Amino acid sequence: MAIFRQRLRHGAAASGAALLAGVAVAACGASASAKTTIKAKAASARPAGKITVLVYGDAQNSVEKWEVAQYNKTPEGHKVKAVFESIPGADYQTKLQTIMSTSSAPDIFFNWGGGSIEQFQKAGLLMPLNGMMKANPKLRTSFLPSILNAAKIGKNYYGIPMRGTQPVVLFYDKALLHKDGVPVPKTWAQLLADAKTLKRKGVSVPIADGGGDQWPTQMWFEYVYDRIAGPSLVTDGLAGNRKVWASAASRKALAYIKQLVQSGAFGPAKSWDSVKFTSGQTAQMMVNGISAFELMGSWDYSTIQSQGSTATGTNPPNGPGAAFVKAGKLGWTAFPSIPGGKGNNADLAGNTENYYSVLAKTRYPQAVADFLKIMYTPAFVKNELALGNLTTTKNTPTLISGPSAGWLRWQYELVNHAPHFQLSWDQAYPQTDTNTIHTAVANYFDDLNANQFIKAMEGLRPAA
Amino acid sequence: MTTLTPRGRTGRNSGGARIGRPSFLWSMPAITFFALFAIVPLGVVAWLSFNSWDAIGSPHWVGTANWSAMFSDPVFLKSFRITALLTALGIVTQTPVSLLIGVWAAGPQRNRAVLSALYFIPLLMSSLAISVVWVSLLNPYFGLPHELHAVFGAGLFNDGFLFSSPTTAIGVLTFVGMWQWTPFHTLIYQGGARAIPDVLYQAAAIDGAGRVRQFFHITLPQLRNTMMTSVVLMLVGGLTTFDTILVLTQGQPGTSTTSAAYYMYTKAFQSFQFGNASVIAVVLAVFTTLLSLIVVRVSGWDRMRSTQEGI
Repeated sequence: MAIFRQRLRHGAAASGAALLAGVAVAACGASASAKTTIKAKAASARPAGKITVLVYGDAQNSVEKWEVAQYNKTPEGHKVKAVFESIPGADYQTKLQTIMSTSSAPDIFFNWGGGSIEQFQKAGLLMPLNGMMKANPKLRTSFLPSILNAAKIGKNYYGIPMRGTQPVVLFYDKALLHKDGVPVPKTWAQLLADAKTLKRKGVSVPIADGGGDQWPTQMWFEYVYDRIAGPSLVTDGLAGNRKVWASAASRKALAYIKQLVQSGAFGPAKSWDSVKFTSGQTAQMMVNGISAFELMGSWDYSTIQSQGSTATGTNPPNGPGAAFVKAGKLGWTAFPSIPGGKGNNADLAGNTENYYSVLAKTRYPQAVADFLKIMYTPAFVKNELALGNLTTTKNTPTLISGPSAGWLRWQYELVNHAPHFQLSWDQAYPQTDTNTIHTAVANYFDDLNANQFIKAMEGLRPAA
Repeated sequence: MTTLTPRGRTGRNSGGARIGRPSFLWSMPAITFFALFAIVPLGVVAWLSFNSWDAIGSPHWVGTANWSAMFSDPVFLKSFRITALLTALGIVTQTPVSLLIGVWAAGPQRNRAVLSALYFIPLLMSSLAISVVWVSLLNPYFGLPHELHAVFGAGLFNDGFLFSSPTTAIGVLTFVGMWQWTPFHTLIYQGGARAIPDVLYQAAAIDGAGRVRQFFHITLPQLRNTMMTSVVLMLVGGLTTFDTILVLTQGQPGTSTTSAAYYMYTKAFQSFQFGNASVIAVVLAVFTTLLSLIVVRVSGWDRMRSTQEGI
């Protein structure tokens, strides 16, 4: 004890602080583990008289709160009350993962389909929605089939679309392209030529890439792989075939990507690592003519629009970005085709939709079914559209209106006619693989060679 | 007179070291706190490092699989080298700066209080806010590197793309760390320097010692214990630096700024491999404890005595 005391007295301040900091992260996980084992016994007793709706906490929660209020007004809602809960965005997936097998698990929860729910499905935590769809066919027929399929595992549907679709498209600066006499690229060769011309005319970074965030870089891989190899390469990879990454088509796609990177289209080597989408830097590059192109999810429209804005709350954006969009400078086009490739030029990549999935153990499946009905009502669609979310119900096109109607209609048609809509790789693969994918794509842009990239991708765990 | 001294203490002590020290019971709150929030979690983490767990369901035992996986993982080994480098750079850059400013701030100069207060501001800001500010300030196209291209284009700064090369990325982390933490260490040195009796300087002045000699022969030796305290705090802080890396570099480019603490976070909360993350946590905890014990022994912190005996 004397030794202990001695050490405690002199070393405690230092080593104690280090211990605390060192284990703090893992300790959070540990306390959740203890909870899991205790709660496993109590799980059969779900709370009485209510269903919980858990969503990703952000500025768009107003519609989800409206849904809950709407449901609570129905006769079913008087018997079983719906309760709205949210987890702030950045922590959503992490916290969801730690509560899903506890008694505080939500009855209905927000997710991205694909890999984001796969582990829950494997653990038997999700309710297949086929039964509900049989009882109420509108729950299936009201939505675009390709969108419902992105939350299908095996033969079962696990998600009802609940926000909007976000395809990745190629944004461009109309004015800059016009000024430098550069056509909107329809083919890969044209894109390369455009970048070359723009560079010659003083556009230092023809294509903006938020490489510091890593995931924006991934979008180039998603499209080039689709155009060259067709959708099957990635879907096979997702189904557990790790050999696809070493295939001839995969190597060809990698060569195309390397060619674009080395042409300087993204600026000087590795310059993209100093730029982030998330801190508004790529939007700033687009608005200020540093760049002419950006490959990004449809949300970039509002990101660019709010660039430099000082407006708060629900006020319309007022900065240089808003002026840029208002002046009609912002253009958008589908990803260019790659002649000779197997992919359909109408194929899309991006975030398919957000979904509500249902906990297998929910005590009130009927109440849940009644709640989910709201997701195809015209009122719901109008509310989402007002937020700028492009819903994927079949009645959406008739309800689109307002200043960005052209942009929304164009996207809807794109999604409606896409033979294949590939969910972003980092969301299609299980959460445990996200980091591997991000690192691999980012490093391939920097200095990995094709073999090293293939080796990294072969390390992904099969999704199914 | 002896009857006035509590019994049992004078009786037991042959030396005078423990005179007046409170009994073991007095440290119980601290020990309880330490056990509850450090020892117990550490035990759980050590146990978890032998399990596979993704936060769904219950952990299952995998023996030493996590340990062998981590020790054959090049990123894991590299992350400890990066941690050591960042810590060393932090100590080397922060110590001289905070020592000089601290000693200056202890003096009676005009405007000293105002300037010191201004200088103290970074310490009041959250690490995240500081990091977000610096991300914008160092933007290659719109930030300082663009405005001061004459400086940043000179070659030393990777042409202004500070987050694109390992060297400059480490440089940014070191600089921001210095910007954030020197005010704190300055405060420690200021306190230390204020406690140095004036008579020493007066005597030195009579003997003809100038400012520089006074600094090296009086201030520095007198601040020895203060310096140890400051360095140990920097050491521990440096080894567990996480928030600035999360916002500024996210461990990039490649894995060249992925410190052990950041790698632990990505393993736990991005990859949901809590077993592997626990291995890093345990290694980090053991490593940090050993290091601070070594520092304590080598520096003689456990024998620390007043530097003013005889004054």
